[in-house]
Amino acid sequence: MKGLSILLLGFLLILTTVSLAQTGQIQLDVKKKTLSNGMRILVLENHAAPTFSAIIRFNTGSVDEHPGITGSSHLLEHMLFKGTKIIGTTNYEAEVPIMAKIDSLAHLLRAEQVKLLSPLNPQDSGRLKELKQEMANLQATEKKYVVKDELWDTYLKEGGTSLNASTSNDGTQYYVSLPRNCLELWAFFESDRLANLVLREFYSERDVVMEERRLTTENSPRRSLDEALSATVFWASPYCWSVVGWMSDLQTVMREDVEAYFRSHYSPANAVAVIVGDVDANQLFKICDKYFSKIPSQPAPPPVVTRDAPQKGERRTEIEYDANPMVYVGWPIPQIGHPDLPALEVAANILSDGRTSRFYKNIREKKLGSASASSDETRLPSAFTCTMTPFGQHTTAELEEAVYAEIDRLKTEKVSEWELEKVRNQKDASFIRSLESNRGLAFRISSSEAMTGDWRNFLDYREALKKVTADDIIRVVDKYLTKKNRSVAYIVKSTSNSPAKRAEKEIGR
Amino acid sequence: MKTIIFAMTLFLISAGVAFGQTETAKSPGSKIVESLTKEEISLTIPRVGVDVDRVALDNGLVIYLYENHKLPLFNIQTLIRCGSVYDASEKDGLSDLVGTVMRTGGTKTITGDSLSMLMEYIGGNLEANIGGEKGTVSLSVLSKDADLGLKLFVDLLRNPAFPQDKLDLAKIDIKNNIKRRNDSPGSIVNRYFYNMLYGDYPSGRVLEWASVKNITAQELADYHRRFFTPNNIMIGIYGDFSKTEILAKLRALLADWPQAITALPAPPEVEFKYHPGVYQIRKDLNQSSIMIGQLGIKRNNPDRYAVRLLNYILGGGSFTSRITSRVRSDEGLAYHASSNFNTDSRDYGVFDAECQTKSASTYTATSIIMEEINNIRNDGVTSEEFEGARNAVINSSVFLFDTPGKIINRLMSLEFDGLPPDFYNDYLNEFRRITLADIKSVAQKYLKPNQMTFVIVGNPDAFEKPLDEFGPVTNIELTEPVTE
Repeated sequence: MKGLSILLLGFLLILTTVSLAQTGQIQLDVKKKTLSNGMRILVLENHAAPTFSAIIRFNTGSVDEHPGITGSSHLLEHMLFKGTKIIGTTNYEAEVPIMAKIDSLAHLLRAEQVKLLSPLNPQDSGRLKELKQEMANLQATEKKYVVKDELWDTYLKEGGTSLNASTSNDGTQYYVSLPRNCLELWAFFESDRLANLVLREFYSERDVVMEERRLTTENSPRRSLDEALSATVFWASPYCWSVVGWMSDLQTVMREDVEAYFRSHYSPANAVAVIVGDVDANQLFKICDKYFSKIPSQPAPPPVVTRDAPQKGERRTEIEYDANPMVYVGWPIPQIGHPDLPALEVAANILSDGRTSRFYKNIREKKLGSASASSDETRLPSAFTCTMTPFGQHTTAELEEAVYAEIDRLKTEKVSEWELEKVRNQKDASFIRSLESNRGLAFRISSSEAMTGDWRNFLDYREALKKVTADDIIRVVDKYLTKKNRSVAYIVKSTSNSPAKRAEKEIGR
Repeated sequence: MKTIIFAMTLFLISAGVAFGQTETAKSPGSKIVESLTKEEISLTIPRVGVDVDRVALDNGLVIYLYENHKLPLFNIQTLIRCGSVYDASEKDGLSDLVGTVMRTGGTKTITGDSLSMLMEYIGGNLEANIGGEKGTVSLSVLSKDADLGLKLFVDLLRNPAFPQDKLDLAKIDIKNNIKRRNDSPGSIVNRYFYNMLYGDYPSGRVLEWASVKNITAQELADYHRRFFTPNNIMIGIYGDFSKTEILAKLRALLADWPQAITALPAPPEVEFKYHPGVYQIRKDLNQSSIMIGQLGIKRNNPDRYAVRLLNYILGGGSFTSRITSRVRSDEGLAYHASSNFNTDSRDYGVFDAECQTKSASTYTATSIIMEEINNIRNDGVTSEEFEGARNAVINSSVFLFDTPGKIINRLMSLEFDGLPPDFYNDYLNEFRRITLADIKSVAQKYLKPNQMTFVIVGNPDAFEKPLDEFGPVTNIELTEPVTE
């Protein structure tokens, strides 16, 4: 067995007790190659087990969408598992005319659905029903040629695990862990779905995504509150809608809209492939060159330029929901690369990481409730957020007050050297733990490479976190976490579903 | 670099076989997939006594050691035979509280707060948790902090203090969870489903404030004295250390821990009963959460391997499986539609099929699931499905032992669960021995569609059709949990 291809330089020499300076000397032997079409391939060899983890990340997420097609990055994430001209079908040529019919019918259906949106239009629910039936018939015809979930099925048969894809505001990633001998299979499947994607079964998959929205957002109090907070913090920025998109857009977005979005945003130069595991870098580069270089290069997707104007006062949003109260607060902060971000992240860590954190000591141990803070690196200016859950009879107002008191303390008193050193040591230790997982490393490398153009930035950022001073924290907290800049979204319990309320409604009818 | 010789080497199935004889039409791309040549991978199964050491101290404490210097980390994983199966019904919540307060309350020589300060300062983790049938105490520190970590770990394991203030704090957390248990449909449907199937057996109990509030610090200490004895504990250590040095240290810290003589009582037994019927729990939602199922099998059942393949094909193999394929992919009725058949439980585990679908397709989604359960009982599965499921299990076994943590945990767990040390050598062969006919036979033997329990959280007024064809319907009103 060969060792992990991670160089541990002189680490044995530094066994002192306090600072973990040695982790700064851990180097990741990542090799990078850019194909002729601009696609970047990064590899980190680790021969500990006969497996590898692979990820393809596109620098495309819900921020690249616009009203009318919100949710399309995520919808495409689903569609990329539906096959290509040669995968997932027994006869693509025979499918083409059926898909054309489905598309024109979908336009008629959409026209009816659009009518329903305005009271000025004449309504004809019979027509809608008729069209839906016709659509169901056509979809049944299409199914005759479909080989269900062939890529997924094949990966599983070959022993693939952790197979999935995920979409965020900032990016979309497709990942799988496979036995070592499946490298070429991976390159074939992944390149084929970029070169020859067919958006088959689009409209039934759109229904699946609507169910996903109901499950993960509408019927989850936390995610409903998340969505409300984003729409309160961001008025203009595309962070204002959630990754899954608005329901009305999901109901009306067309196959060709999503296909056009794919053509403009899923270019090879906008993609990063990262492989970590039991592979030979040179062989991997050869295989990737053979499969991915075939994809033609294309212009970069349009930049996202919309930004929010400076906030002019506190914003508050109340949600009535059949759940116990919670409150989320957000403050705008700058985007990735800004020098204030490391200090904001360290402030968040000091506030809420672990049992020695300030929120834990002063809010949870005082039995007011639980609270947590987070700050993130994102493609566009985003938000520093605090989420709070009151205990017992305590109110969201009390929790807010307690959290603001802790934030104010950060503006007036220097944090202790102990707290800073604790955060530094934790960053180092968690970095070393992250080296255990091929998959975890692949995620870190790919997001850094995709968002900043250089995978090494995540290492530099970690070093920057360790250089944050007590004065930096006073400065950034004072600058960003102000009353004027904050947005507050909170749940008040609606009792409309209680048996007594329902009885009332019954009587009222 | 040490050389490891593996006595047992298993070869995984090569690609060609997976796409053997099939009657269904194939895609043009599948020919390219078949044409890819692939080397064989041999699966190396780590063995106790060869790759991993096992040492038993005189007091009965069992230690597993796996030295691995790739990363400067020192990790300990501990298994303690205890858990909520031993909790009396009126003391429900006791095990959970012991796990939490053990860590937050610290020891007789170091307070929980000081322990947190030390561990967080060195970027380490020291955690304790007690579940249904086992407790765990785990440590992870950088190897330079191994001595400190080890001392704190042993102190916590042997001498937890269970102070009143941390007990009160842990109770507040539980109380808050009880108060919020009706906020999300997922927690409601699970709670009622398991309660229907298990009744007052610990897996079915609904944790109530009335039992939690009366649990005392003394009861926590008594629990620790009863279960945390060296002959009831296994410790697994893995990472960057020297085996001989660490063993000497462990002996110094643990050998004087007296063995306790009391044998544990047998845990209560699950009463195998069916609870047919439809239980509708009203909540004003636009989507129904549906769980359908029954009690299944115990892990010592030799049919467990066939049952696992059955479930993979029915609804456990994600998109490849029938329920997911029909409810989600064909009909677009759900984001999540699956089945689970627990084959790892000491006593009877559960079979369940579940999905969440908009209110107006509740009946339709439920009937599709039932249709698939009936189909697999009546017609069995195709050879293509069978080979696919079997290959997936066998080929993915390469991930069973791919990190030091998994190696130590899997080998320790075998002994803890009373399974033979060569379990994994035979494991893949068990799947190879199964035949197509076995799948149909276990489907008929263990899936009882007429005896199943249906639990649905949602708004019955908006269902497209009543659910009474699946059994007598009982309506349940959610009540505000009592937290006073």
